[in-house]
Order: sequence, then structure tokens, then C-alpha cells
Amino acid sequence: MSSTPGSRPSTTAIIGWLIAAAVLVAIVVLVALNAQSVWTSFFPPEAKSVQGQEIRNLYDIVFAIAVVIFVVVEGLIIWTVIRYRRKPGDDELPAQTHGNNLAEAIWTIVPTIIVIFLFVISWQSLNKIETVSATPDLKVRVVAGQFQWSFEYLPADADAKSKPIFTVNAPLGPDGGLVLPAGQTTHLYLHSLDVIHAFYVPQFLFKRDVVPNTDAVHDNQFDLAIPASGAGQTYRGQCAELCGVGHRIMVFEVHALAPADFQAWYDKQSAAASATPPPAPSGGQAGPPVNVTAQGVKFLEATLTAPAAGFTFHLDNKDAGTPHDLDVLDAGGAKVFDSKEFPGPAVRDLPVPALPAGTYKFECSIHPTLMFGTLTVQ
Amino acid sequence: MTSPSTALTTGDPGHAVVEHSPTAGLAHDSRGGISNPILGMLLFICSEIMFFSGLFAAYFSVRASTTPWPPVQPKDLAEHFNLHAEPWFAGILTLILLTSSVTCQMAVWAIRRDDRAGFIRNIGVTLVLGIVFLIGQVYDYATLGFGISDTTFGTTFYTLTGFHGAHVFGGAVMLSVVLYRGLAGQFSARHHDAVEATSLYWHFVDVVWIALFSTLYIL
Amino acid sequence: MATTTLTPAASAYRSGLYEWITTTDHKKIGILYVINSFLFFFIGGLLALGVRTELAQPGLQVLTNEGLYNQLFTMHGTVMIFLFIIPMLAGFGNYVVPLQIGAPDMAFPRINALSFWMLPLGGILLLMGFVTGGAASAGWTSYSPLAQDRVGQAVNDAAGTGQDLWIMALVLIGTSSILGAVNFLVTIFKMRAPGMTLFRMPILVWTVLVTSVLVLMATPVITSALIMLFIDRNYGGHFFDPVSGGNAILWQNVFWFYSHPAVYVMVLPAMGMISEILPVFSRKPLFGYKAFVFATAGIGALGFSVWAHHMFTTGSVYLPFFSLMTFLIAVPTGVKMFNWIFTLFRGKLTFSTPLLFALGFLSMFLIGGINGAFSAAVPVDFALHDTYWVVAHLHYVLFGGSVFGVMAGLYYWFPKMTGRMLGEGLGKVQFVLMFVGFNLTFFPMHQLGLAGMPRRIADYAANAGWNDLNLVATVGGFIIASSMIPLLWNIFISLRAGKIAGDDPWEANTLEWATSSPPPPYNFDHLPEIRSERPLFDLRHGRAGTH
Repeated sequence: MSSTPGSRPSTTAIIGWLIAAAVLVAIVVLVALNAQSVWTSFFPPEAKSVQGQEIRNLYDIVFAIAVVIFVVVEGLIIWTVIRYRRKPGDDELPAQTHGNNLAEAIWTIVPTIIVIFLFVISWQSLNKIETVSATPDLKVRVVAGQFQWSFEYLPADADAKSKPIFTVNAPLGPDGGLVLPAGQTTHLYLHSLDVIHAFYVPQFLFKRDVVPNTDAVHDNQFDLAIPASGAGQTYRGQCAELCGVGHRIMVFEVHALAPADFQAWYDKQSAAASATPPPAPSGGQAGPPVNVTAQGVKFLEATLTAPAAGFTFHLDNKDAGTPHDLDVLDAGGAKVFDSKEFPGPAVRDLPVPALPAGTYKFECSIHPTLMFGTLTVQ
Repeated sequence: MTSPSTALTTGDPGHAVVEHSPTAGLAHDSRGGISNPILGMLLFICSEIMFFSGLFAAYFSVRASTTPWPPVQPKDLAEHFNLHAEPWFAGILTLILLTSSVTCQMAVWAIRRDDRAGFIRNIGVTLVLGIVFLIGQVYDYATLGFGISDTTFGTTFYTLTGFHGAHVFGGAVMLSVVLYRGLAGQFSARHHDAVEATSLYWHFVDVVWIALFSTLYIL
Repeated sequence: MATTTLTPAASAYRSGLYEWITTTDHKKIGILYVINSFLFFFIGGLLALGVRTELAQPGLQVLTNEGLYNQLFTMHGTVMIFLFIIPMLAGFGNYVVPLQIGAPDMAFPRINALSFWMLPLGGILLLMGFVTGGAASAGWTSYSPLAQDRVGQAVNDAAGTGQDLWIMALVLIGTSSILGAVNFLVTIFKMRAPGMTLFRMPILVWTVLVTSVLVLMATPVITSALIMLFIDRNYGGHFFDPVSGGNAILWQNVFWFYSHPAVYVMVLPAMGMISEILPVFSRKPLFGYKAFVFATAGIGALGFSVWAHHMFTTGSVYLPFFSLMTFLIAVPTGVKMFNWIFTLFRGKLTFSTPLLFALGFLSMFLIGGINGAFSAAVPVDFALHDTYWVVAHLHYVLFGGSVFGVMAGLYYWFPKMTGRMLGEGLGKVQFVLMFVGFNLTFFPMHQLGLAGMPRRIADYAANAGWNDLNLVATVGGFIIASSMIPLLWNIFISLRAGKIAGDDPWEANTLEWATSSPPPPYNFDHLPEIRSERPLFDLRHGRAGTH
């Protein structure tokens, strides 16, 4: 009354198994050749912050337990599958086991103990990470807007709403980024100008969402400490919560400086901020205006035409809270005109010196992939 | 495969059945307890409760993040935001809806006794009260001095009452169908699942209004 | 109401297009669900291939418009979740559940037809975004305020009609799910054959029952959230608008209150299918039937208290509670894993294609469970959240779990649905291709995530060290796509000339195999006695084997 389905191996099936075997061999060979780097790829990068080191320790424990569970259970599956194949022609029924209370109790209780252990150790390490110093060495507000980071350095007695002493507008480069003293604790506030972003530095093993709030007192805040050994290092950071078309370009750098270097940098920045702003550069060769409008992280003009004798960009930045600038690049990509970024909504006149006639590229250096066009100088 | 098997309810194959009928010739699905339509309605009401829970959760969350409540800005609207000031109109609406729930239940009792005239009279009254409630709601909207985009207060108020109103409208449509079928003589003491189901839904709509009234007008 | 005589089984499936469109037969509706879901599976797969092609190499090669990239992954997620996995499992449920409980049809056949037809309609609405100026692009999670914004289209892309169409489509699909859940529950509670007590129901019926409760309680909440989002976008509402007193995190709370239980909606019925298949092909009963039922119910109940583990990094949730709950939900899942393994243990395994896919489910879902536990440890989640690790995790659960389960179910019930067997050779080729391709695609994503690659970026720096792994993932993606060729070819030739299945080709245990293949309208002429959860086994072997 019964048929035995699927007991004959077909040619296609054999081909299938051969493909599988070939791929398996290829993977094993590749892994064996790169054993060291494959092993390290199963771990996060070496943690460069005190909090990150705590997270890394926890990760290592979780990883070890996970590997043991994986090997035991997956091994059990594979062993069972190989061991209990049905032999051809074997029509006898196996023992009809419906269950075993002891076994079932064991595999309910043991996993419960394991997960509760994991919960307890992760809670403990969470408490360490979330600890906030009453007297941090520095307070910085990280401000995120589409698609730009800026860093506001706050007074020592600041709260979430205090005005900054000075602001670093550029997220990247030697003059930009989040500059922090190594070996000291910084208290960070995360403030969003528009949508939700996330402050993420892979080497700190940490991210926290930058959530827009009705009242800045609800802004997320946490402590970050880079060990003294990190002085002179730069770490890459990136927005980790989808925030629109420019999500990908929302990158920043964290520079850790030795405390003395940091103090020098800090003093220079605050001095520059408190100095009276210099009068607008009244270049002698301020030529006729060329209107450019930046809106929605786009230049509304795709092509511009300007006289070779010199001219003035009239840049209208309509993006509230988002800084833009306007640079000109020659055919070889070299920057022939560089302007300083400013947040919108605002209008600035940027006088451009005389340029040789030809075709140039203009771009916003903060959003080069989204904001660019062609400038023809006649 | 001819082994012991219980003869089944459909009887012999080839026996005429009514197509597209859920109960096509099978006896075992009416095994007592509540009927399929009533169980279906109860489950559907569970999902509706969760729908309004979502809206209420949003209301309390938004209310918590807006201080003070009701908002005092913008100034030209602030006094309209204070619904506590004159709850009497909403109070009358509440009374109307409560009364309609009573008449709805009376209709159910009537049809259970096979009192078809009493059933139709009560369903009719329920329907009229429901429509009066809806008209009152529209009148209320027209006289309130703020709109859906006026702060979180306007947004939550119109969303919650609006979706309740839509459910009252849905209930009124169901009552109309029940009334129509009742006039056509389709209900009896034995067959009136649609009446029971509609009345459950109507009571649910009533309960939601009581929650809304307590939250929006009193709390 | 037309009165017709009962038609013989053979001609029932050769009826015309009109009959298929107007049918209220749960079996035809079930097949419509399956076909419709496969169509959307291919659409969602093409969208994923677009994403993987762009990511194969650093630099923007294929998609010069990054907004389009955002549309691709948004629509990939939405289509796969709402138009493939959930309806596919509902389709199998529709086909199999009434048969397994010995019922003639679902409790409300016309509502059943209505729930199905809402799906293609919702799908068309959703995809229309591509031709009306940009589909939804705020991710399948559509976080507010990003998805709420109607100004500054160039910045958000969520400003277009696509996002509104997305909302409408999801409300429609959600309504379909709710009506379907009511239908399943009433069917299961009220339409069981004599002798089919609750604890004799096949496990698939149990999982559909728990799934339906989840859908019934959770889906309305996202409907309310979608409506709030629609009001915010179109009528100047302020629910999620922090500038005017709204709450940006509110969206995440209501969204995940649905979307986490939705994960169980997507995986529980697949678990049920596996639990039907493993016993049949190891010729043993399911090990620990009652424990399995309680574990299913436990997952369902705990499923409502873990939603905020998607929000650990928002700084707005009470971390220890949700961390503990998330860890605890691993326990009932582990119970099931051991029940399955011990069903195989000391069995006599026949390696037909359904069993291969079921074993694929077991071994891959295990990984999806273990890598999920990493994210339950809150500090580790701080490192892994919103990186490719999460993409790996969710695909190991939803692809390694649900899709392998669906494939197992397809090979298992195809004979019942059509009367013909699917070819074993092509089936095994498909399994190997899919298994290899799946692991090549998604395993490297663990390492990418650990190395710090965030989700939802169209491009990455060439010196970030992510190039090789991304290339491997893309190659794997195309291998998965190629595994569809043997499947389609198999279906095509099997429908025309496949081996005739007979009533019960697998020596199975449950009632659907006690009727003809395909079954006649209203399913059964005679039902066997139901004295255990394996009525057909009892019929074949007597009660000797059971205790």
C-alpha cells in the first residue's frame, strides 16, 4: 500500500550535489588560506573607547556561547540526518516516540538559565556604559541635519539647551570633525534639526539615535571616553539611520588629541569665535553677480555662465540648518575657488577672482555628489 | 484505502448541494455554542478595540509631550481648545448614543421572543438615534473654532472623534441592512444572527464613545 | 443562489477564468494566494537584485539617482513582507487548514475571496508609486519624521505620492489580513470534524491559530499608525511632528507593536509546515506535540512584549525589560528546535525535496535565532543595530526560515493541489542552488555589519574593506535568482506530465491526504475516524504504534 518516493538518484540531482560539493570545497580552501582574517572578521573592530571596550568584552562572551550552541545544535542536526537515513527497502516503522518529559524539561530549563545569564551580564555592562560622570571634562553637542554633522562645544556648566562657545561646521578633514581629548571624558548631547539620524562610530562599537524633540531637554546624551593611548588617532563615523537621499554622505570624523594639543586647539577655536568677525572681504575685482540657489540639497542651476574678468557668486542657501558652500574646480579637478560654508536660510556674496576662459565644475564641497553643475567662463 | 471510516455528513456523492454556502450540507458545524457570524463579529470587535487602542495610545503619548494641555498657543485658538468649558453638547450626544444602545438591545430581545413588530420599531429608533448622533457630530465640528491642523490638540481630537464617527456610520449602514431585511421578514426567533452581530457592534461603538467622551471632554 | 450538482474532482480545476475570479472555494483561493505571492516574490527579488548589483562594487554604477536606490530597498522589504511571505503563508493556510480539520470550506467563503482580492489591488497600488513620480523610499519601516515630510522632495523623496500609495496599500493589505484572521479563527474553532479535538489538531493548524490571534491583535494597531501618518502628511496633522508637539518615537512604538509580532506571523506558519513535513519523512510522530503547542502559544504571547528591541538605540525605551523579554523568547523557540531534531532522531529519513527544504529551514533558522540573541544583549545591539548584521539576521529568519519553509510546503502540498508530483531531481537542484546562494548572500553580511557597514547606503568607500564581502553577497544573490529557473521549469513540466500523485503520495498523517488529489469541492466524501493527531497513520497501522 505504500510507494517509496524519491529513492532513485537522478542525473540532475547528482549534478546538483557536485555543484554543492565544489562550492563547499572552494569556501573551505578560501577560508583556510585566510584563516586569520576570517577569524577576526567575526569580531567587531578593536574598541577605541572605554565604553566600546566594555561592549567588546560582552560581545566576546556572547560570541563564545553562541559558537558553542551553534556547533552543538547544528552538529546534532547533521549527525542525526546522516545517522538515521532510511535504507533502501526498509519498510519497518521506527519506534513511535511521542516525547520524553525529562528531555523536554532539560531543554527548556537549560536555555532559560543560559539566556538569564546573558541577560544579567548584558544588564551589568549596560549599566557601566550608561554611567554618566557628574563632572565631565568636556561637553559637546552633536548636531545632525540633512545631511550634515556639526559639533557645538559647550561651556562646562552647560545643559542640553545651552549656547555653544564655538561650533565646528565641517564634519571632515583637518579643520573639521569632532575633536576630543584622549584620556578624558566627554559628555555628548545629540540634537537633530529635522529627521532621525544616528551617531555611529564603528570603532567605538556604539551608536545612539539623534531624535528630533519638541524640547531639547529630551535630547539623547551619553558619556564617551577615549583612552590616552588614542591620542593622534582619527576614527570614521557615519549616520546609521536612514535620513533621506543623502544618508550615505552623512559621514564625519572623530579626532582624538593629547590633552595639551586639545587645549591648544580649543583655545584657538574659542578665540576665533569670540573675535569680532572681520569685515566682508571687499575684493577690488568684485564683478557682476551670478545667481546660484541651493534648495533641498540641490543647486537649482545646472549650468552657469560668467565673465572671465571676475564675478561674484550670489549664493542663496534656502536649506534651513544645512550649510552649503560653492567651490569651482578646473578640468583636472583642482580647486580654483574655495568658499566657506554657511547654514541657510541665508544669502552670501562670494567674490571670485579672474579665471581663464573655459569650462569648470562647480560644487558644494559638503554635498559633492548631490550638488554640482557646469560653469562656463567666457 | 478502504479501511474503517465514519460515514460523513455530506451523504452520498452526487447529492445536490447549494454552492457557495459555507454550511453546504454539513451538519457538524452547528455544534451549539455561539454561531459563526457572532463569533466572527466578536473577533472583529477585538481587532477594532486594538485599532482604537492604537489611536488612544497616540493621543496619550502626544498629550504627554505637549505641555500644557490643552495648548495655550496659538492665542486665538487657545480658548477653543478647552472642551471642558461646555461639555453639555457632547453630553447630549452621549445620551443619544446610550439610548440607542438600549433600544438596540430591546430590538434583540424582541426578535428573540419572535416579536417582529417590536424588533422593527426598536431597530428603527436605534437607526434614527444613530443618524441624529452623526448630524450632531457634524454640527459640533462646524461650530468648533479649530481644525485638524491646529496643534496636536486639533489633530488628535478630529482623528479620534472622526474615526469613531466613521464607525457610527458603518454601524448605521449595518442597522439599515438589518432593518431592510427585517421588513422583508428575514428574521425570526431562530434565525437572527445578523441582528445579534449588529447589536454587538453597535454596543462596541457606544463603549468607544464613552471612552472618547471621558478622555477628550472630561479628563 | 445557483444550485449545481457536485462536479467530479478532475474537472473542478479545468474550469474557466471566470470561475477562478469568482470562486469562493478555499482551495482555489489558496492557490490564487500562492500564485499571487509568487508573482510578488519575483518582483521583490528583482528589486533586491537591483540593490545587490549596485553594492557589488564601491562607486555608483547602476543607479545614478540615489533616491531610486532608496525606493528599491524600501519596496523590496515591503513587497517581500506584505505581499509575499504573509500572503504566501495565508495561502497555504487557506488551502490546508480546512482540509486538515476535516471542514468543507472556510467559515466565511465570500469574505475569504474578498481578503484575497484586496492583495493584488494593494500590490498594484504600492507599485504604482514607480510610475507616479517615485515609489515610497523611507524604508519599509517608514520612520517618521522622514516619511511624514511632504516638503523638500529632493532631500527626502518621501514627499512624493509613492509614500501615500504605500500607506493606502498597507491599510488595504492589513484589512485583508484581519478579515483572513477572523475567518481562520472561526473556521478552526467552529468547523472541526467530529473527533478533531483541539489537541488532535495538526501543528500547522495550531500555528495558523496563534498567527491569526497575532494578526487580529497587532494589525489594527499599524492600521491606526498608518492613518495617523496619512493625516500628518495630507491634512497637516502633528502626531509625529516634533516641531509642533508631536512625538517622533511614537511612530516606532506603534509600528513595531505590529511589526514585531508580524515576524512571528511570518515564521510561525512556516514552523507549522515544517512540523507537518519532518514527522512524515522520518516516519515518526512529532516529538513533544503538547510542548510544541505551548511553545507556539508562548511565542505568540511573548511576541507582544518585545517590540521595543528594535528601538534600543533610540534612548526612549526601558532597556532591561525589553532585553529580558527578548532573551526569554529564545526559550520556546529553542524548545521547538529540539522537538524537531528529536523528531528526526531514531527516525527513518527519506530525503525527498520537502525534507531537504525542511532541513534547510532547521539549520538556517538556527543561525537566525542565535544571531538574534546578540541583539538582545543591549550593549552589543548598540554596535550591531542598523548595520548589515541586522540584515543578515532578518534574512536568516525570514529567508532561511520562512522561504525555506514555503519551498518545503510547496513541494509537499503541490501533489495535493494539482494531482501531480513535482520532479525530485529538479527539486534537489533548486534546493542546492538556493541553499548555497542564500548562505553566500547573507552570511558575509554578518562580517560586513561587524566591520561597521550601515544598512541602506547605495555606496561605500573603496578603502573601507567591504569590497570582497559585498561582491560575494552579490554573486550569492544571483545564485538565489538562478534557483528559480529549476523551480519554474519543474512546475511547468510537472503540471503537464508530472507523475500522478494519488491520494497520499507521502504516506502522510493528516486528513488532507484522505481525500482525492485535488480534493473535490467541499473536500470530503468520507472522513476516517479521528482518534489522534495522526488519523491517517492510525488508519494505516492501527493504533499499535501509538501509546
